[in-house]
Amino acid sequence: MAGDQGTRSLGAPAGVSVLRDLEGLVQVLTCGSVDDGKSTLIGRLLWDATDLPEDTRATIEKSIGTDGLPDLSLLVDGLVAEREQGITIDIAWRYVDAGSRRYVIIDSPGHEQYTRNMATGASHADVAIMLIDARHGVKRQTRRHAAILDLMGVRRVVLAVNKMDLVDWSEARFREIEADFAGVMRRFGFEQAQAIPVAAKLGDCVACASEHMTWYTGPTLLDVLAAVPSRGTKTGGPFRFPVQLVLRGKGSDFRGLAGTVASGRVAVGDEVRDSSSGKTAKVRRIATMDGHLDSAAIGQAVVIQLDVDLDISRGSVLSQPGAAPVTARTLRSRMVWLAETPLTQHQGMLLRTATDLVPVSRLDIASRLDLETLAEEAVQTAHPNDVIAASITLARPVAVDRFAEIAETGSFILVDSLTGGTLAGGVVEDAMAGAKTATKGAFLLTRQMLAGGVCAGLDPAGAEFQRRADEVATILRAAGVTVEIER
Amino acid sequence: MSKPFSHLDLLEAESIHIFREAAAQFRKPVFLYSIGKDSTVLLHLARKAFYPQKPPFPLMHIDTTWKFRDMIAFRDRTARDLGLELIVHTNRDGAASGINPVDYAPSLYTDVMKTQALKQALDLHGFDAAFGGARRDEEASRAKERVFSFRASGHRWDPRKQRPEMWRLLNGRLGTGETARVFPLSNWTERDVWRYVLREKLDVVPLYMAAERPTVLRNGQILMLDDERMPLKPGEARVMRRIRFRTLGCWPLTAAIESTADDITSVVVETLTATTSERQGRLIDHDQSGAMEKKKQEGYF
Repeated sequence: MAGDQGTRSLGAPAGVSVLRDLEGLVQVLTCGSVDDGKSTLIGRLLWDATDLPEDTRATIEKSIGTDGLPDLSLLVDGLVAEREQGITIDIAWRYVDAGSRRYVIIDSPGHEQYTRNMATGASHADVAIMLIDARHGVKRQTRRHAAILDLMGVRRVVLAVNKMDLVDWSEARFREIEADFAGVMRRFGFEQAQAIPVAAKLGDCVACASEHMTWYTGPTLLDVLAAVPSRGTKTGGPFRFPVQLVLRGKGSDFRGLAGTVASGRVAVGDEVRDSSSGKTAKVRRIATMDGHLDSAAIGQAVVIQLDVDLDISRGSVLSQPGAAPVTARTLRSRMVWLAETPLTQHQGMLLRTATDLVPVSRLDIASRLDLETLAEEAVQTAHPNDVIAASITLARPVAVDRFAEIAETGSFILVDSLTGGTLAGGVVEDAMAGAKTATKGAFLLTRQMLAGGVCAGLDPAGAEFQRRADEVATILRAAGVTVEIER
Repeated sequence: MSKPFSHLDLLEAESIHIFREAAAQFRKPVFLYSIGKDSTVLLHLARKAFYPQKPPFPLMHIDTTWKFRDMIAFRDRTARDLGLELIVHTNRDGAASGINPVDYAPSLYTDVMKTQALKQALDLHGFDAAFGGARRDEEASRAKERVFSFRASGHRWDPRKQRPEMWRLLNGRLGTGETARVFPLSNWTERDVWRYVLREKLDVVPLYMAAERPTVLRNGQILMLDDERMPLKPGEARVMRRIRFRTLGCWPLTAAIESTADDITSVVVETLTATTSERQGRLIDHDQSGAMEKKKQEGYF
């Protein structure tokens, strides 16, 4: 059994080919506990599918354990042998080149209660590997993990049924687990949910087919990862471009909007709409330091110049005119409470979207999701690791999408206005186009008040005016006032 | 662009996004320029991020006075060619007390001439954020580092004060006394940096390329004798060797490797097919166990 150890080397680049860019990049979340063999699984992937430095291989080969096999988990020590840092949120990042691809392995260690660790990791993932021990089968934890992945928008899931050697490579046992898994997954809307029998310690079905499980004809774990579409290949979807900065050229005529395409694509000549004014203009130029482009697609960081100056600033979202984001002051949302302390009343908070930062007027928590039963229970406040449903009222409207439609412009974080800390991360489930008049009982901070006070002498349409108005609203909220800023 | 994005296209776009977020969110950022290949790539990305403007922040180099002469020449030429402001800071007290890498333990020297110097410089100029070229793949303790990494007053790194980062939402709102370190190359690997140097045809310090250089063999490591400040010990000899460097730092603390790779392509081929991991050439990391993590808590970059 130990004989095949250490000889495999798949997809290891050699010679001049190392100079070429890899063809794609996929971010992979690994979830499961250390006991399920997670480090060994990642170690096995590194061992079999990458060109590890020889000094590293030599060290591992010397690490023969009591079972006569090298300890592959040592390849990912640092991730697991971490000194426990108490209750901090930590996900570890590891980079694996296999075949012609980069895999970014995102490891969310920690106790199963650490929902926020996993939610944080999941927000970056294209696919998740859920690891279980074949002897123990699908546990409550699997359902819990699936619920978090679903919430955070991960569409592809692989269940790695590990330690198949310890159940005598039993097909019956695997099929039983596979059926349980299908039962759990039926509740959710994953695009792909595949179970694979593996033995990470021995290498079966991780990067290579199994000699022990000839009954299994499905893909290996690496086969599944290799079939996940790379980042930046997701085409379609309406155009979204959250503006990060305004850049000016040497001449006075160039006023470029810098940002990253968050959805869809845009071409020179296209008509686009500015979310803050509702006005439209045509794309005159798409600039980069490497030359002008005819078009730009999701994931590309560019500078867009419009044919007319709409006085756009950071926080605006450029979009396709016929399929614009909602400009909303009330959001129905679901979020994971990331802070180490519960929500306190009158806590000054800001909502950060792709590029906007808006004071929160009110946060009304409706319910908490029980991740074991998936039942909603009414609650008043949020505690660490809670997944809550809440309605957020903002001091001024913000351009957002429903997360299910466009993740990039449908996600947000809540920021503590005093400490700057990140309190929660969430998704927009629904956004109501803002009523023009203030919410009943809210204090309206008028443009006139601001212009006569902290914003005296500032351009009412300028970014600094808005920034100061936001700060005043934040302070008032901390004093217990529901406040809105006049548009 | 009709061809699909390569992984470097995606990493480049991500880094540009991070630069722009930091420039939009922080009041007075600075670019910590350390002259090496990572800094070279980082600076190139900064230029792309703000094109057609120049990067809206100065470069700052913490000069220990023991950097290779080729590095200093490259630094000055780069700042001049790009028309960027260059701030050079040296811990004058440390230099005046004669702290040097030859007579003092690397940990003490690094603390005084790099860590303390950096804190002094950031405080002196009131920078609230500093861009650095650190990568998560460099070392186990960096695998969990954030893109926006926060330092409490006194530049202390407190693991409990680090913020979760979700999606591409970077939160740069500072608490009282806090400053930030920003790492746009977080998700790059050493290989990516080299591939990018090649792809973008970037100029790097000549020390990365093999040449005949005066050296001494000490503790099994090849050290280059960049000037006369490091006396030879009994039994040591000054020998010309064909060497190059995988990483650059203070010359008495930076080991060279023997190599014939004298152009950038062969260096990259040799590096990418290398059989040992990167930081072996950096002696400070071997000085004490868990060195990097400890240095970070003390305020090292």
